[in-house]
Amino acid sequence: MKAPAWLVPVLVVLCAVAGVIGSRLAMAPSLVEVFAEASPNAEPRRSVFVVRGVRCVDTAEMAARQLAGIDGVQRLEAFASRARLDVTYDPARVDAAALREAFEGPVHDANSGEYLFDLFEVIEMDGVKIESGREPESP
Amino acid sequence: MQRLRLIFQLAVVAAALTAGVRFALGRSLVSVETYCPFGGLETAYSFFTRRQFSCSAGEANLALFIALLVLTLVARKAFCSWVCPVGTLFEWEARLARRLFRRHDFAGRWPLAPRVDRALKVGLRLLVLAVILAATWTTGELVFRGYDPYYIAFSAHGHDVQSWSYAVLGGLLLLGLALPLAWCKYLCPLGVVLWPLSRGGALRLARSSHHCTGCGACDRACPQDLRISAADQVRSGECTLCLACTAACPSPQALELVWPRVGSNRGPR
Repeated sequence: MKAPAWLVPVLVVLCAVAGVIGSRLAMAPSLVEVFAEASPNAEPRRSVFVVRGVRCVDTAEMAARQLAGIDGVQRLEAFASRARLDVTYDPARVDAAALREAFEGPVHDANSGEYLFDLFEVIEMDGVKIESGREPESP
Repeated sequence: MQRLRLIFQLAVVAAALTAGVRFALGRSLVSVETYCPFGGLETAYSFFTRRQFSCSAGEANLALFIALLVLTLVARKAFCSWVCPVGTLFEWEARLARRLFRRHDFAGRWPLAPRVDRALKVGLRLLVLAVILAATWTTGELVFRGYDPYYIAFSAHGHDVQSWSYAVLGGLLLLGLALPLAWCKYLCPLGVVLWPLSRGGALRLARSSHHCTGCGACDRACPQDLRISAADQVRSGECTLCLACTAACPSPQALELVWPRVGSNRGPR
């Protein structure tokens, strides 16, 4: 049975669109780091950070190390291809602003021992875009 | 249709270059790797065993890879000639070489013997694929990045691109002058993954011996150097449905796109 030639570009476009839509359905983290178990009475909160500088598992691990030792941080999920970090924490002990500050602080390179500055920059916090060097605008 | 294909190719190359430059300048968080379907295969093992992605690969890579498999089952390797920016670069280079060396076809200056050609198309690409997957699946890193012509050409000197990466790209382009589409035919790991699916692809080109004049224009126009004039249907897994053959054919209805028919003769491999 004959098929029109235009079918080929149409199929190409359809599959590209299906791929883009499909990518929304298969979200999985590049890295999961559990810092502490949630205490029974606490109501954990989850904040979503989009962080410039997070681009792979290695950089996500660096970002995760920034949270090590912060009281109240329970879990981090990194989505490297989206530069996104989801942090679950106890809001009674730490807040999102402190987490942002921790991410943007000097990063200790575990291999070289050097401190690296301005490696990470939080550009979006809980859906609110952040102007460089400014506090997030109120929604 | 060739003009439309050129528009597709130009649009994809422009989009990839833009994405690479924007990422390098810090204006975007999405790198060119995000759109590479081969990244989906590289991270598939990690995704299906640990529900986590490798290195910078993500859900877009995986979804695009699955969409590509579906496309190949229907429209063979149409991705290679309509979308892949590396395929586009090497096809443009092959066309340029054809003019420079005043050749009439894409066989190249030193065409390989058919048996060697077939062995390299399968064996060498399978070897490249096996090495990359073994390295990626064991280390969790996209170790191929520094050698990947797509990443080298479009990432605007991205992470892992070294000076020798450009030497690799230059070497591949030089090789492409002697052996047209050398990367696509003999080295591309994605090409060998798609090849078995493409062989069984639903859409194919059919030649009508009744209308065909036997001029061989289709053979000369085929960038993959397939012997189209020797078959009733093109079943080769290397056919990219670029439709350059139908555009070159001077006889209307001699070469048409069809859905599969039972009982037709075997085509070129």
